[in-house]
Amino acid sequence: MGREEGFQLIEQIRGKARELLEGKQISCFIGYEQGTRGRARPAFIYDPQEVERLIWDGRCTHNLTVYLHQFKAPVKRGEPPPRVGILVKPCDARSLNILLHEKQIDRARVYVIGLTCEGLAADGQLLERCQRCSERVPVVYDLLLGEKPTMIGQEDYADVTEIERMSPAQRLAFWAREFDRCIRCYACRQACPACYCFECVAEQLDPPWMSIAIDLPQKQFFHVMRAYHLAGRCAGCNACEEACPMGIPLSLLNRKIAREVEALFGYRAGQDAITPPPLATFKKEEDVPL
Amino acid sequence: MQVVTKEHLLVWLDELAGRFTLIAPKRVEEKLLYKPVRHSSEIALDFGRTDLSAKEFFLPSTEAILTIKREKGKISVEEPPLEGERVLFGLHPCDAQALRVLDALFVQEEPVDPYYAERRRKTTLVGLACREMGEQCFCTSLGLAPNEAKDVDLMLTEVAEGYAVQVITDKGKTLVGAMALQEIEGIPPEPIVHQKKVPILEVGEWPERFEHPFWARLSDRCLSCRLCTYVCPTCRCFDVRDAELSDKEIERLRAWDSCMAEGYRRIAGGHNPRPSKMERLRNRFYCKFCYYPQDFGPIACVGCGRCIVQCPVNVDATEVLERLAAL
Repeated sequence: MGREEGFQLIEQIRGKARELLEGKQISCFIGYEQGTRGRARPAFIYDPQEVERLIWDGRCTHNLTVYLHQFKAPVKRGEPPPRVGILVKPCDARSLNILLHEKQIDRARVYVIGLTCEGLAADGQLLERCQRCSERVPVVYDLLLGEKPTMIGQEDYADVTEIERMSPAQRLAFWAREFDRCIRCYACRQACPACYCFECVAEQLDPPWMSIAIDLPQKQFFHVMRAYHLAGRCAGCNACEEACPMGIPLSLLNRKIAREVEALFGYRAGQDAITPPPLATFKKEEDVPL
Repeated sequence: MQVVTKEHLLVWLDELAGRFTLIAPKRVEEKLLYKPVRHSSEIALDFGRTDLSAKEFFLPSTEAILTIKREKGKISVEEPPLEGERVLFGLHPCDAQALRVLDALFVQEEPVDPYYAERRRKTTLVGLACREMGEQCFCTSLGLAPNEAKDVDLMLTEVAEGYAVQVITDKGKTLVGAMALQEIEGIPPEPIVHQKKVPILEVGEWPERFEHPFWARLSDRCLSCRLCTYVCPTCRCFDVRDAELSDKEIERLRAWDSCMAEGYRRIAGGHNPRPSKMERLRNRFYCKFCYYPQDFGPIACVGCGRCIVQCPVNVDATEVLERLAAL
């Protein structure tokens, strides 16, 4: 994306957000703004006068669909929930489909600006997660912006394969070392659009499935459980890994399972909002190799 | 000034590691953490800010405080023993001040927290002045300096010849006995300090800002995770729960808890006085800059900048403080 195209694109995003807000079609537009210390961050625009705050560049990594959960409830009792506008990249769009399929949000209550994407680059360097991503055009949108992608992406699981090649003992040692750094801050869970349980097993009081201890067994249990709960539901946006303060390679787990699900069922999480996710479906005659 | 060469410092650290549990900054994968070390070669001497603070050595993220056992009809209650004498090496002035902040509640206020107090008593603190302030640091706005020689037992400052050594307490004096010191003319250099000061409101200026819509807009992007409170050197909330290990044994655990968690403030019957992330994020700032100084004295922030570095959605404490001052 050249400087000129980038400038045009942000003007298009601001223009659409302004139009939607002025026309009272939405009450809030969720996009990105300039943060402090050279960072980009999620922005919530309620006033059409403030659309100039919106930005779009290679630092806009956050999966904004996680914020749709906070607009599910009506502002006033008896009213419908507010309608919001949101900016999605191709990876985020798959998350959106997951939420639509799981009936977390009403499609009519979200105006989606989809952006084509050939990967995010901060400081000229394509992000690691973007190097292994094949998504180029969002799978759901009301308005598609951005240039037609020219590069075809290819999913790259080389890092997952590397872990698979380890012996079970080596793998156990690898994950014990990684999870040992976990502090149970739940940033991974909170940054994940698909982790929206009203009460997480990790914090449930009655019954108390999990001890409050911040020790290795609890850390391992939590991460393995979360990975399994995301089986066939993880869009691979990498928000969990990017939120982790301790640099734990969480996406390795999620992508391992995503690859298995795709190999077994030919299903990619969030590919559309209609196909039932295989792990949330029951067929009387299953033909699945176990 | 009294100076120890780097070589002799390492010899001294190795000697300490033989006598005490030596805790020092260590690189673990790509993170920098305080860890018990056996040998000086494990220590990262050249460091800015550790990713986690040293609070876990005084308020562990998890500790068993009681075990109750039933054997042959007899019930016994035991308190697991605490750690022995320890030396904590490489504490920056902000993290040393953070322990003073925790002391105000755990030691200076009745009832004294026996676990915290005992660990504090049995630990000698060796401070290390910062060479310069990190980009996200704002300790100077909280009345500290990056080379402040207080709140520790022994203070080290890097100089051309090695490290300048200042003895602050008797504990420090005892510890420095085994160090090969030499007298050199001059004073330790001042570290590089940011000029930018962050405005800190007086305690009395906080209540009028409580209902301001600023908090709702700020918390829109908050993920309501516990990250900021767990990386914070002064956040000190904990939970205590009994866990059944078997039908013959119960363990009473205390572990870190966070006011940013949805269930933190939930009470019997299900009512939650801080139901949304707006109330929770606002509380974190009020706790640090209003409630804690009001109740215990010091401001519960030392400007270490960890929450600023780590927050996934750029909730930046210095920006918040600036915006609040301008309201």
